Amino acid sequence: MKQDLIYFLPELIVSITVLFLFLLDCFIGKRSRRIFPVIAFIGIAAMMLANKSSSPLPSARFFSDMMVFDHVSVLFKYIFGLAGLIAIVIANGSHELEKVDKANYFTLLTALVLGMMLLANAHHFLMIYLSLEMVSLLSYILTGSLQGSRRSSEASLKYVIYGGVASGIMAYGISILYGLTGSMTLTGVAEFLRMNAVSKTALYTSVLMIMAGFGFKVASVPFHMWCPDVYEGAPTPFTAFLSVGPKAAGFAVLLRFFFGALSQTTTSGIEPIKIIGLPALLGGLSIATMTLGNLAALQQKSMKRLLAYSSIAHAGYMLLALVALNAEAVTGVIFYLSVYLLMNLGAFLVLIIVGDQLGSEDISVFQGLSKRGPFAALLSIVMTVFMFSLTGIPPMAGFIGKFYLFGSVIKSGHYTLAVIGMLNSVVSLYYYIRVVKIMYFDEPVDGRNLTTPMVSHASTVFALALLTIYLGLFWNGLANIVGQAKLF
Amino acid sequence: MILLSHYIVVSAILFSIGVIGVLCRRNALVIFMSVEIMLNAANLAFIAFAREHGGMEGQTIAFFVMALAAAEVAVGLGIIMAVFKKQGTIDLAKINFLKG
Amino acid sequence: MPMIELKDIAFIILALITLGSAGGVAFSKKIIYSGFSLLGSLFGVAGLYILLSNDFIAATQLLIYVGGVLILILFAIMLTSKIGDIAVTNKSINWKVAIPIIAGLACFLISSFSGDIWKVADKTPYQSSVSFIGNALLKEFLLPFEVISIVLLCALIGSIVILKREVK
Repeated sequence: MKQDLIYFLPELIVSITVLFLFLLDCFIGKRSRRIFPVIAFIGIAAMMLANKSSSPLPSARFFSDMMVFDHVSVLFKYIFGLAGLIAIVIANGSHELEKVDKANYFTLLTALVLGMMLLANAHHFLMIYLSLEMVSLLSYILTGSLQGSRRSSEASLKYVIYGGVASGIMAYGISILYGLTGSMTLTGVAEFLRMNAVSKTALYTSVLMIMAGFGFKVASVPFHMWCPDVYEGAPTPFTAFLSVGPKAAGFAVLLRFFFGALSQTTTSGIEPIKIIGLPALLGGLSIATMTLGNLAALQQKSMKRLLAYSSIAHAGYMLLALVALNAEAVTGVIFYLSVYLLMNLGAFLVLIIVGDQLGSEDISVFQGLSKRGPFAALLSIVMTVFMFSLTGIPPMAGFIGKFYLFGSVIKSGHYTLAVIGMLNSVVSLYYYIRVVKIMYFDEPVDGRNLTTPMVSHASTVFALALLTIYLGLFWNGLANIVGQAKLF
Repeated sequence: MILLSHYIVVSAILFSIGVIGVLCRRNALVIFMSVEIMLNAANLAFIAFAREHGGMEGQTIAFFVMALAAAEVAVGLGIIMAVFKKQGTIDLAKINFLKG
Repeated sequence: MPMIELKDIAFIILALITLGSAGGVAFSKKIIYSGFSLLGSLFGVAGLYILLSNDFIAATQLLIYVGGVLILILFAIMLTSKIGDIAVTNKSINWKVAIPIIAGLACFLISSFSGDIWKVADKTPYQSSVSFIGNALLKEFLLPFEVISIVLLCALIGSIVILKREVK
C-alpha cells in the first residue's frame, strides 16, 4: 500500500500545492502576493524530486486501470515540471502580467501542470477526456486572464469555441469506440481489436474523431486555426508555456493512444493495427501540418504569430515520427520535445525581454537589436542560437532532435516522408534566419538601448541558450535516458 | 421493436445537427448550444451502448461528460461575457481584432 | 405481424422532439428561440435515457443540463443581446449549403454505424440504480471522481478570474 503511493506522489504533491494556494488566497492580504510564485515553484520542484524517487520502479497500473506509470510518464513529468518552473520564472516580474492577479495566475498555472501530468499518465479514456478537458479549461482561463485587454479576451473566446467543438467531436468518437470494443482502457481496446474483427469504417471514423481532440491540443491540421490567434492574444509569458506544455501533454497522450490502443507488440517489434491505414493517415496529417505551418510563418509580421506557426510546423515534425510507430519514434518524440522546450521557451523569453522594454511584439522590433548596447548584443547572440536550433542547424540541440526524428522515419522505410520533412526544414530556414539577419544587418529605428532585465530573466535565458548548445554537442547523456523509455 | 441501432441513428443525426450549428452559425452562444447538442449525442450513444454491454462504464462516463460540460459552459460563458463587455457583440464575424 | 408497443411510440415521439428541437437550435433566426429549443432537446434526451431504463442519468440530465447549463445560457442570452438586435446578432444560416452537409454527414455516420458491428454483451448484466453508480464512483471510478472536483473548483475560480475587474 505504501509502495503504491510512491508512484502517485508527484501528482499528490502538485494537487496539495494547488489546493494550498487556493486556500492561501483567502487568507493572505494584497501585500504579500509575492509568496504565490515561490510556493508554486517549490511545489513543482518538489514534484520533480519525488518523480526522481519513483523513476526506478517498474511500470504499474493503478486506480482500477485508470492510470499507468512507466518510464515515459516519468520523463514527461520532468518535461512538464521544467516547463512549469521556467514559466513561473518568466511570469514573475513580466511587465505584461503586472495587472494580473498573481495569486490566481500562479495557482491556475500549477493546476495546469497537474492536468498535464494526469493526461500523460491516463490509461482509461475517461481519464484521457477528463484531463484533456482540465488542461483545456485552464488554458482558456489563463489565456483570458489579462483583464482590460481586448486581445486577451478575444483570444480566449476563439480558444474556447474551437476547444469546445474539438472536445464534442472527441467525446462522440470515444462513444463509438466504446460501442465497437466495449472497453475503455487503452490496452483493453488493443486486446479486443487483436482478437475480434470490427467494422473498418466505424473504427476509422471513431479514430479520426478522437484525433480531433488530440490534434487540437498539439495544434495539427485541421485543428490548428486557434493557434496563431491564441498565441498572439494570450499574455506572452503564458504563450511561452502554452507552446511547450500542453503540446507536450498532447504528444504524450498521442503516443499512448497509438502505441497502446492501436498497435500491438509482436515478435518483430511494434506493429500498427492492420485494418486501418494508420501510417498513411498520420503521414498525410503531418505533411499538411508542417507545410502549412512553415508556409504561413513566411508571411508573418508579428513575432508571436511567427512562433505560433513555427510551433505548428514543429508539431508536424513530431507527428512524422509517429508514422514510424517503432520504438525509435518514442525516443525521437520525447527527445525532440525536451529540446523544443529549451529552444522555444528561450526564443519566447528573448521576445518578452525585448518586447517589455521596446513595447512591441512585431518582428521589426528586432531590427538592429545587436546595436542597442552591450546587453542587447549578448541577447542577439542568444537569439541566434535559438533560431539556428529551431531550424535544426548543427551544432545546436535542434539538429540532434531532428536527426532522431527523421532517423526513426527512415528506419521504418518511409523515405519520401523524411525527404519532405527535410525540405520543410529548409523552408523554415528562411524565416528564422530573417530574424537573425535583421538583428545584425538592419539599423535600429530609434536610439533606445536595451537595459539589463531582472536577474532571473537574464540568467534563465542564458542558461537555456547554454543548454541548447550543450545538448547539441553532448547529447549522449539525454539520449541514453530517453532511449531506455518504455511505454506500458 | 426498438433496437440499439435506432438509438445510434438518433444520436448520429443529433451529432450532425450539432456540427451544422457549429459550422454555419456566427453567434458564439449558438455555437455553444450546438456543442452541447454534440455532447448530448455522445452521451446518448454512451447510455445506449451501456445497456447493450452491461457494466458501469458507459453510464459513469456519461455522468462525467455532463459534469465537464457544465464546467466548460461556466468558463465559456464567462469568456463570452468578458468579450461582450469589451466589444459589445458576440458575433464572431465582427470579432476580428486579431488577424494575421 | 410485429406488435407496436407503447414503448416504441414513446421512442418515436421522444426522438422527434429531440431532433426537431435540436434543428430549432441550429436553424432559428432569433437566439432566444434557439435557447428554448435547446430546452426541448435536452428534455427529449432525458426521456430517451428513461426509455433506456437509466433513471439516474435522466435525473442528472435534468438537474445539470436543464437546471444548470440551460439557465446559464438563457441568462447569457438576456445579458448579451439588446432586445432590438436579437435577430441581427444571430444570422440564420444558408439552407442551400446546410442541408446537403447535414444530410451527407448523417448518411455517412448512419451507414458506417449500421449493421451488427457493435460488441455484443457477454458478462455483467445491465444494472442501473443510484446505489450501483454510487458504488462505482467510489470504487473503480474514484480517481476521476476526485479529479473532477479539482476541475470544477478551477472552473469556478477561473470564471471569476476572467470576469473580475482589473487589479488597480
